Amino acid sequence: MLSLVAARLALGLVSLLLVSLAIFAITSLLPGDAAEELLGQYATRETVAGLRASLGLDLPAHLRYLAWLKGLATGDFGRSLASNMPVAQLIGSRLPNSLMLAAATAAVSVPIALTIGITAAMYRGSAYDRTVSMLTLSVVSVPEFLVATAAVIVFAVQLRWLSALSTTADITSVAQFFRVFALPVFALCCVIVAQMVRMTRAAIIDQLRAPYVEMAVLKGVGPLRVVLHHALPNAIGPIANAVALSLSYLLGGVIIVETIFNYPGVAKLMVDGVAQRDLPVVQACAMLFCAAYLVLVTTADIIAILSNPRLRHP
Amino acid sequence: MASNELELLGQADQARVLDAVRRGATRRDLLGMLGAGGMAAATAGGIFGAAKEAVAQTPRRGGRIRVSGTSTSTADTLDPAKQSLSTDYARCNMFYDGLTTFDGSLTPRPALAESWQQEGAKVWTFKLRRGVTFHDGKPLTAEDVVFSLNRHKDPATASRARSLAMPMTEIVATAPDEVRITLDSPNADLPVVLATFHFHIIKAGTTDFSTAIGTGAFTCREFQPGVRSIAQRNPNYWQAGKGHLDEVEFIGIPDEQARVNALLSGDVQLIAGVDPRSVRRITQAQGHGVFETKSGYYTNLVMRLDMSPASNTDFVLAMKFMFDREQMRTAILRNYGVVGNDQPIDPTNRFFFPGLPQRPFDLDRARFHFQRSGVGSTSLPVVCSPAAPNSVDMAQVMQQTGARIGMNLEVRRVPSDGYWSNHWFKHPIGFGAINPRPSADILLTLFFKSDAAWNESAWRNPQFDQLLSAARAETDEAKRRQMYADMQVMIHNESGIGIPVFQSMLDGHVSRLRGLSPIPVGNLMGFDFAKHVWLEG
Amino acid sequence: MIRRLSPAGLLGLLILAFWVAMAVFGAAVAPHAAGRIVDMEVFLPVSADYPLGTDYLGRDMLSRVLHGTRYTVGVALGAALIASGSGLMLGMCAAVWGGMVDGAISRALDTLISIPSKMFALVVVAAFGSSVPVLILMAGIIYTPGAYRIARSLAVSVNAQDFVTVARARGEGTLYLVRAEILPNIIGPVLADFGLRFVYIVLLLAGMSFLGLGVQPPNADWGSLVRENMAGLHEAAPAVLMPAFAIASLTIGVNLAIDVLGGGRREGDGH
Repeated sequence: MLSLVAARLALGLVSLLLVSLAIFAITSLLPGDAAEELLGQYATRETVAGLRASLGLDLPAHLRYLAWLKGLATGDFGRSLASNMPVAQLIGSRLPNSLMLAAATAAVSVPIALTIGITAAMYRGSAYDRTVSMLTLSVVSVPEFLVATAAVIVFAVQLRWLSALSTTADITSVAQFFRVFALPVFALCCVIVAQMVRMTRAAIIDQLRAPYVEMAVLKGVGPLRVVLHHALPNAIGPIANAVALSLSYLLGGVIIVETIFNYPGVAKLMVDGVAQRDLPVVQACAMLFCAAYLVLVTTADIIAILSNPRLRHP
Repeated sequence: MASNELELLGQADQARVLDAVRRGATRRDLLGMLGAGGMAAATAGGIFGAAKEAVAQTPRRGGRIRVSGTSTSTADTLDPAKQSLSTDYARCNMFYDGLTTFDGSLTPRPALAESWQQEGAKVWTFKLRRGVTFHDGKPLTAEDVVFSLNRHKDPATASRARSLAMPMTEIVATAPDEVRITLDSPNADLPVVLATFHFHIIKAGTTDFSTAIGTGAFTCREFQPGVRSIAQRNPNYWQAGKGHLDEVEFIGIPDEQARVNALLSGDVQLIAGVDPRSVRRITQAQGHGVFETKSGYYTNLVMRLDMSPASNTDFVLAMKFMFDREQMRTAILRNYGVVGNDQPIDPTNRFFFPGLPQRPFDLDRARFHFQRSGVGSTSLPVVCSPAAPNSVDMAQVMQQTGARIGMNLEVRRVPSDGYWSNHWFKHPIGFGAINPRPSADILLTLFFKSDAAWNESAWRNPQFDQLLSAARAETDEAKRRQMYADMQVMIHNESGIGIPVFQSMLDGHVSRLRGLSPIPVGNLMGFDFAKHVWLEG
Repeated sequence: MIRRLSPAGLLGLLILAFWVAMAVFGAAVAPHAAGRIVDMEVFLPVSADYPLGTDYLGRDMLSRVLHGTRYTVGVALGAALIASGSGLMLGMCAAVWGGMVDGAISRALDTLISIPSKMFALVVVAAFGSSVPVLILMAGIIYTPGAYRIARSLAVSVNAQDFVTVARARGEGTLYLVRAEILPNIIGPVLADFGLRFVYIVLLLAGMSFLGLGVQPPNADWGSLVRENMAGLHEAAPAVLMPAFAIASLTIGVNLAIDVLGGGRREGDGH
């Protein structure tokens, strides 16, 4: 197990390097550079040239990449081209917000999704199963911006129970925490619960049909025990992967929720970075998301191996 | 009427009444107070109403508001030279002042400069106001002004106002409170140029813009680009009677629906950029209002005269005649706009020429010119983007009308991302969006002069260029007016720009917020709301 | 298989068939052109003239939904097939071959998933221009890594089962292992995943066409119809609710139909 983790770590570093290279290449393929984007409608030949020189964008691309890589080796992520602030500081001020939102959403959505998924599999074909299935599908098919805006209109504008904006600076108490996070967490749960529910249900049903489970049922083991002790351990690989995929969405993919609730997280930082061709910011964000994704899927793989004796001792 | 009734009272009584009403006196209290003077009840009642009205119009000190602009990102700036979005203007206007400032008619008024003199509109001397201090206590001197203006000329500053600053060939301090600016050619509008926000005055030698040290009505307590700015009232502000709120928090919510929701839920008190379709929703909600600024803001069709098909004059005319301006005004702008006439000076501008006949929506003439152009049924891409507001809808309306005269327009929507650098006036037919400019000269110089960097339609007319320079140097108002009228006619007839409508700017606010009045350079009182508004008790 | 059709499955197939028919004939049966402004009043409620009301410019919503069907159903179906198909193939290969191949495929797709889709889309538009085939291909590529993850994790656990080990010991080739042993045992969850990927792609389209990729005005996919009419949400205008309803019905239809297919397959094989 340790050797697997070590190997994954080493490979992870390679992935990160690949990501940084890919992002760099893609950004230079994109039309326009930071100087042009920053000046926008004001761009003229002289001002663009002046800004380019002061940002160091007049150097050839490979030199800029090497310089960035050299900085990275000493732990320096560089400075944002748009704001001239250190990238580490920009990310440092927003990452806690993103992690807090992700953690709150995970804490609510994972238990709910697993419970629904497992019970739906236990009573597959029943009215409950069908209702749950219809509901999760309906919820996931509503565009995120519609769910979030509708929730704001009902709970913040009409009822005035909750805040339409999620400003972390306002949090001083548990009640405040709830007021600020309730709506974004709700909107995000709507997006990610369905995938986890459907995968859990499908994976467990698959196992319930396996001969060894049928054997257990024939031996008179109760349905709950069959699911939890026999089917679940074998189904946990795909379930853990579905959970990991859903959770990986919570860091970089929450741009719509961050925009609608004006929540200062890293997803918005990255999208702004792309729009402004702010390469150091985009690089750092992409590597951050990649690292988070790798941690999640590696954890899922390890959980899968640990829970399945056949994979543990191949 | 209301004020007349108040004037029935002597000055001392007036002050007494207003003070009582301000402290919450009722009609009955007032009656008791005035009854002692033997006044008829009806008159006293009138006085009460008038006093209440007067108190409502009197700024009240204190309170805190949260305001949302239309964007926010890490490119948010406190560097006056780098301001490029409306949110930057609104933020910087809280902290900085210019030498001059705009009033509601866009006439330049004294701000940090107390007065100015000119010789032949070429050499200008500005006398600075005395006793003004920066937020850190340092007094304002001519040296600060020279530094603030000169830095725009350095390419490394990456100033958005470089082209406006370059004609100022010499900027020198002639006394501790006097600055002389020499221009390369006469410009009667220099005080207007200096009122534009990029020419805000900063302390000499400033290089760090992580906070703002200006002379403005508010000091900068917090600035987090992409998150928020918090402004606190500057107790030492030089201008008496301005800056009423204790604190202003400025944020940016890019999504219009989210912005309106935040206003109606009570999370913010003032929002910029309301879509005309949201107006009814806001005004119907209890305690909220919409504030309209009629302005010269327009989204325009750009037809490159140096590319096919617009190199053909008949084609350009056909397009201009098939502009269904009225439908665009009603369907797209919900009537919050004024029909345009293919020239960029709008009716709020003092140089607007009302004598220019309105070009009608005339499909017969459009068809006639279109057939004469010989373009036929070739598919013609019209490039539009969310970056140029309403251009996607305008393109669709044009596609519909075009189909009726056999013109085959193909709507091509491109991303906002990179629009200004990669698409704006790079295609034969496309769209631009032009923010209001404070003077006719600035507008025409930036967008219509033959050698202008942003001459969108590549329209070249030496006679126009001569008129433009002459009008800039002209100090006789009547002669100037005639010159601008001639230039409007030329653009209307010859250029490849189609301007269907001038769009109003709409802001939403809580009704308790008072003191808003239009300054037509932009939303939020020409981005200068902070020092003017107050919260009613 | 037909014999075993449940009422839910039948409903799913009917909904799917209806939308596929509309994708083909929708433009012909629509009462108006997609871009025609039919009324000066915006966000009109349901009426006899306009069965789904009018949109934010005063255009007939029914016509806009019908014209948008082919872009929504066609693009999403094509892209979901690409994503799930290539994800499944790669996932099974990674599981069966293991070792270096697994590592290489997994790391390559990890890199792909870390590139923000907006950035990816912008580059694609800049390089290849904007057309519907490009849009399908791109949406397919964006969702391949997710499909791969699920398929691989399923295949890995099946690959460790005794019957696969036995088959391998018998000397069966990779193709046989994949086709006869692994695929039948993972197809249920893979199809469930396909159903979800389909929805994700429908929702992705709204963002992509906003970036100028693929569907061009006056036509619009359903997600974009929801987005452009958001101003009508507070008054519950049909212009914003109806396209959302269409997406939901399509999602449910596809997933119910998949449940039928997945269940039907199961009965046939012997494991």
